[in-house]
Amino acid sequence: MMHDMENAGPNLLDLEELDEEALKRESEEVLEMRFLNAGNSRFHRTGGGFLALKVGEKEYDRVGVYLTFPLTNPEEYISIREADEKAKEIGLIQNLKDLPKDQQEMIQEQIRLRYFMPVIRKVLDVKDEYGYAYWHVVTDFGSCRFTTHMGGDAVVNISGDRYQITDIDGNRYELPDLYALTVMERKKLDLFI
Amino acid sequence: MKLQYKLDPESNLALGLTEGEEVWYCVPLDLKLHPNEMTAVSEFADKQWFVVTTKRLVVLENGRLLSAFDLKDCEKVKCEHQIYSGIVTVFGKDGSKTAAARFSMRQITRVAYVARGAQNIITAMEENRPVEDRDRVISRENEKYCEKCNRALPGTSKCPYCDGKADVLKKFLALCGEFVGKFLMISVMMVLASGIDLLNPMIQKDFVDHTLTTGNGTARELVIFIAITFTLLVVRLGLGFYRYWCCVKLGASISMSLRKKLYYKIQVLSLSFINNRRPGELMNRVSRDTRQIREFMEEVFGDMFSTLLTMIVALVMMFSISVKMTLLSLVFVLVVVVITRVFWHHIHTIFHRQWLKFDDLNSNLQDILAGMRIVKCFGQEERESKKFTQKTREFAQIQRRNETFWAVFFPILSFLMGAGTYVAVWFGGLDVLQGDMTIGQLLQFITYTGYLFGPLNWMTHMPRMIMQMITSLNRIYDVLDEEPLLADKADCKEFPIQGAFSFRKVSFGYQTYEPVLENVTFDVKPGEMIGLVGASGTGKSTLINLIMRLYDVDQGSITLDGVDLRDIKREALHSQIGVVLQETFLFSGSILANIKFAKPDATLEEVIQAAKAANAHDFICKTPDGYNTYVGEHGYNLSGGERQRIAIARAILNNPRILILDEATSALDTESEFLIQQALDRLIQGRTTFAIAHRLSTLRGADRLVVIDKHGIAEIGTHNELLEQKGIYYGLVNAQLKMSADSGSAQ
Repeated sequence: MMHDMENAGPNLLDLEELDEEALKRESEEVLEMRFLNAGNSRFHRTGGGFLALKVGEKEYDRVGVYLTFPLTNPEEYISIREADEKAKEIGLIQNLKDLPKDQQEMIQEQIRLRYFMPVIRKVLDVKDEYGYAYWHVVTDFGSCRFTTHMGGDAVVNISGDRYQITDIDGNRYELPDLYALTVMERKKLDLFI
Repeated sequence: MKLQYKLDPESNLALGLTEGEEVWYCVPLDLKLHPNEMTAVSEFADKQWFVVTTKRLVVLENGRLLSAFDLKDCEKVKCEHQIYSGIVTVFGKDGSKTAAARFSMRQITRVAYVARGAQNIITAMEENRPVEDRDRVISRENEKYCEKCNRALPGTSKCPYCDGKADVLKKFLALCGEFVGKFLMISVMMVLASGIDLLNPMIQKDFVDHTLTTGNGTARELVIFIAITFTLLVVRLGLGFYRYWCCVKLGASISMSLRKKLYYKIQVLSLSFINNRRPGELMNRVSRDTRQIREFMEEVFGDMFSTLLTMIVALVMMFSISVKMTLLSLVFVLVVVVITRVFWHHIHTIFHRQWLKFDDLNSNLQDILAGMRIVKCFGQEERESKKFTQKTREFAQIQRRNETFWAVFFPILSFLMGAGTYVAVWFGGLDVLQGDMTIGQLLQFITYTGYLFGPLNWMTHMPRMIMQMITSLNRIYDVLDEEPLLADKADCKEFPIQGAFSFRKVSFGYQTYEPVLENVTFDVKPGEMIGLVGASGTGKSTLINLIMRLYDVDQGSITLDGVDLRDIKREALHSQIGVVLQETFLFSGSILANIKFAKPDATLEEVIQAAKAANAHDFICKTPDGYNTYVGEHGYNLSGGERQRIAIARAILNNPRILILDEATSALDTESEFLIQQALDRLIQGRTTFAIAHRLSTLRGADRLVVIDKHGIAEIGTHNELLEQKGIYYGLVNAQLKMSADSGSAQ
């Protein structure tokens, strides 16, 4: 009757086999550390601007690139996952540098497509007005204006002199080193830090 | 939220509309797509556009056509949430997947609406019908920024600085209309108080010039003077007190009136309105914003006009005494205003910083106290206390610095304020010595300068206080003006429900860019029991929320007995649905009141019957107060199972036609679950029932099972049918059997 729905998802469990075995296999798969390296996998760009992957015999026409330590170790332990809702892990790249140059570039491209975290290089102006702060900064993506709430978690100190700023839209800006700014710029941030 | 921006002529040309093609959506993008030059478009300028016409999906950049997709060849258009950004992915009928556009979080909601709009057009094309107006997606969400001034909107639909100000003040004045008598009273008080303030120096002058300095004044005159000034003082105090009392009363009545309206409105508004706001925000509007208005009425409003009046008249009097001296004082006023403004800004900054540090310290303390057990378990007491010491030290430093600054600054400020008088005395004194001015006039002048300087500091804060009040008013009126999204239409129906549901291509998401259910289609016969199965977070509870019409579907329709849910009177619908939810919420009050919540006029016999059916009667009888037992807030002095049984009694008291059980028996032990299950089995007879349960055995009575996976229905059928299918349900049953067998053998 109403079987026109998404019935064709990937087989969660191989039910032809004994179920116990399938369950065990799945839980083992979750635990297993599978590393992708130049030897067992090959990435290539798709026409649509995504990344395809061939691991051994298996081919994926689109994979997701997830940084596991995006702030501290962006090039290590990159998780490559299936592109659907479940986003099952295909494998980890232990260190991006170990891959061939062209492969590295492709993955970097995908990271840039997926992540948008501008780094603040220069603070031009911060103005507070009735509960909101209006920022004008120069980021590595160019000059940019954004708005944050005044108190609360708008500016968060993650560690040492490193700060994270979240604007009212949910965009994230990074200030890697407060003391890399000039004294005048730091003064403008007085209200937050 | 605006979904159709106007294109600049150049882009319009590049778009190249064909005949019969119409632009339906056009929204700005703010990030470049190309992987190798992914820069943010400088200052978010509107140079890139995401356009959906009745035929195509087009991305424009700098007046050039970057890419175009024929919607006929598309299977799906999806707005995919990335990390602090999003992309539009176009799924072609040929299996291709293309990243078409990229944007920051600023545009994600807008783009998600447009993607959904594009999907509607594709659906219409697939159904081989022309696209109609009903396919058009309209967003009712508020903009985040004012289009005119680019300021962030404080959760309001109108900018309090641009359009909102006049609008809101007009409404506020209308509200104040109810209190016209009080306002008049306060105005009279204000004028009288100002009058007395201004009269005093004149009497003083008269006394000095005509009695004291003439050399022939008598003790009688002295007594008269003292008597007059003393009376004036007493009257002035009385007036001040009475005015303050009036203002407090007025403020309290106005804020009460607003609070009442707000509370009523929030009850009427849909859940999605409430859920769209951050938790606590609505509470703030009811409590904080109304308090803000009360405080304004009490502390600012009463003084504002009388102070202004006093200042103006004082100025006029000063001019009449000596133009030269007045001008000199005014110059000084300017200097003081500038200096205080500068210093106040600095003070605000340093004390704000102190407050931030204090906040940080506090949350650190709270963190540690709450996590004390973990800290101790891992033996980290040393490290944590070091961290805390460091933080208190920083705070103490800032505090010390700030207090020192304050101690130095405040006397300087007072000195500056007082210095104006010295200037007046010097020049006025010269005039008196030369005989151009009497001593009385000089005294009068000096008193007036005091009137002018005194409230100056306070007046500089005026614009901020007024703006704060307007913002609060705006936030309040925003809720009051909100049309209930789920408002009953004028022609909605009311009828005894049979219970036949029909879902047609239902799509829904709490967030526009994150659909929870997509394209759900199935039918339910009257009296059928449907078991909903699936992993957590797949949308089972959401489906139930839609059935109860706590939310309206985004797309598609749900009909009950052939009538669209949106055309059924909500009260009529809800009075015929019985609900037991996952988190059982009991109100503070007696057990009786809680059971009777859905049907306040139920007889005691009915209540006992319902409690018996829910297997609650026995435990209620054992409590000292029986059905009158007081249930604390959220029902915390009952166990989870007891609360759940009361909730079940509450649900069935009404004898509803439709029963919804969302994990209704999850908090029960096996024995009471068995008992209730039997009670439920009886209840379910002849009622349409939707039941969610993780323990699949709970659903063994279900006529059909619906397995929800990946935002839609994955499997549907009877228990046996699904087992034969050997799909997801089969897997779940096996896994649960296996687990219970394992735990069985382990015991």
